Amino acid sequence: MLNHTENKRNDKFKIVRYKPAPQGTPGAPGEDPTTDYMNVLGMIFSMCGLMMRLKWCSWVAIYCSCISFANSRTNDDTKQMLSSFMLSISAVVMSYLQNPQPMTPPWSNI
Amino acid sequence: MKLSIYFLVFLVFISFKISHSAKGKEQFNDDDFSEFEEFDDEEEVTVKPQTKPSHTQNENNKQVKEEEIENQQTIYRKLDDDDDEDEVIVEEDDDNDEFSYFADEEEFIGYDSEKVQGGSKTPRSQEEPKITIAKVPLHLRSNWDSFYLEMLMAAGLVVYFLNFVFGKGKNQKLATAWFEKHRALLESNFALVGDDGKPEIENPGLRKESENVYILWCSGRTLMEGMLIELRLLKRQDLVAVIGQILRPSTDQLIIKVNLDEMDNFVFACGTKKAAGKLAKEMTDITTYCPEKKSGDKFGLGAQFVVHSELSEVAAAILRDHKVMAVINKNPELFEFFHFSDQYSGPKQQEEAQPTKLPQVKSTLVFGYNFPKDSLVSDSLESMKPLMQLTLYLIDKLSHLRLSKDAKSKAEKNRSKVEEAFLKATHAARAEMAQSLREEKKRKERERIMSLDDPEKQRKWEEKEQKRQMKRRAPKMKTLKIKPM
Repeated sequence: MLNHTENKRNDKFKIVRYKPAPQGTPGAPGEDPTTDYMNVLGMIFSMCGLMMRLKWCSWVAIYCSCISFANSRTNDDTKQMLSSFMLSISAVVMSYLQNPQPMTPPWSNI
Repeated sequence: MKLSIYFLVFLVFISFKISHSAKGKEQFNDDDFSEFEEFDDEEEVTVKPQTKPSHTQNENNKQVKEEEIENQQTIYRKLDDDDDEDEVIVEEDDDNDEFSYFADEEEFIGYDSEKVQGGSKTPRSQEEPKITIAKVPLHLRSNWDSFYLEMLMAAGLVVYFLNFVFGKGKNQKLATAWFEKHRALLESNFALVGDDGKPEIENPGLRKESENVYILWCSGRTLMEGMLIELRLLKRQDLVAVIGQILRPSTDQLIIKVNLDEMDNFVFACGTKKAAGKLAKEMTDITTYCPEKKSGDKFGLGAQFVVHSELSEVAAAILRDHKVMAVINKNPELFEFFHFSDQYSGPKQQEEAQPTKLPQVKSTLVFGYNFPKDSLVSDSLESMKPLMQLTLYLIDKLSHLRLSKDAKSKAEKNRSKVEEAFLKATHAARAEMAQSLREEKKRKERERIMSLDDPEKQRKWEEKEQKRQMKRRAPKMKTLKIKPM
């Protein structure tokens, strides 16, 4: 077995710079669809919470945004994350402004 | 007289209804009167007549009632114009309609019919207590206890963020600990350890892809283009994943992917049953060249391991090597899988249509290892060092591995078979593509000719086209040359 250091010195070797595989290719490191799913889910819940004045929807939207943020990659767009957060927070705030009652859980009979 | 009694009763009923609806917790009317309703309740307190319950005489009652009417009227005047109109109508209406309206008991919901008869006798005071003010609805100023669900949600968020901070820190500590341990070995083997992506490398070392995935690119060694080390740690920063981890435990993983310069033709994979099964299902080259699995027993690995190999010679060469066996058997829980292939093209694509070209392949070696259980406990990462050494050893060995003639020819045959099958399968698709291209060309030509506005040229072109079509349709006959005698 050749000595490792000899490998480096005697034979020719070339240094190749790292090329991150383009996003579409499968098996790229750190490929994780959770972020995108949670982003979309968060937006849907925010809209539900805003339109139908369901407080629990808005809270769930905040949670979805948080989960999406926790699973995000470093090269992901922060603007999208931020906008998702803002949307969910605004959904919660609007729900409480319109109806300052405490939240009733969705499974309880009003 | 009777009329006034009925009128009073009606007023009473209306005020009763209004106070009742205001009492309801979330029965806020979203109409314009909602604000007024609240004030109304409060004002009703002040305007409430102070009569005593002892008056039962008609005349006294009448007086009281008249007072009541006035009071009620003042109340109602404060309401919107609509109500005033109603009131006006009620006052001026002296017809029988009013009587019929009252006579029909089903008109009134929750209205006690006895009150109609004993309206004059029943003291007003009995009904007064019922027209109590509705309590002012819950407001933020008082009664925090009712917001317990909100408190819970907020607490949940705080817990989530705390977990995020601690999990992120732990992952970072683990990654740097691993890197420090292996840095010396890597730097002695590679000219470039850690590429930060900038044109001039400023911060060599681990690169964070996400809070649980770290990457290290090593290059500058013979026999290979480069080595990508990926630390796939557990998602300690995501509370949901942490809970999932409790239900379905898994370990931090170390994935090493090496792109070789050159390699003999073979496809080989081995690993734990779960890992090997996943590879066999997902990877194109394994499904194409070695879908059948063999137990690791045959190669001295252990029953929990499974081997997929195109050429048994290769499997033997790899697995019956002392060094390999020594390292694997020393800590079998650290070994996850090996995948060596010259036809590596990644996992299968979920494409609907038939691809018209074979996927691009590269000579790749993939090593999968697990982190030891308590990775941050003093020296448990030491046990991972032999894994890295094994990796480098195998890289060298497999680059220099030369197959026997038989094995080589077998491998060649397999590959040409696969290519043929592919060409056949896509023949129809490719022919269709070629046909469509030809038609496109012809159409363009036709358009060009038509746009020339020269009927002579057009006619000539059309004739040429006709001849071409005839020639193609006519059966191809070989012309025989007859030698002159």
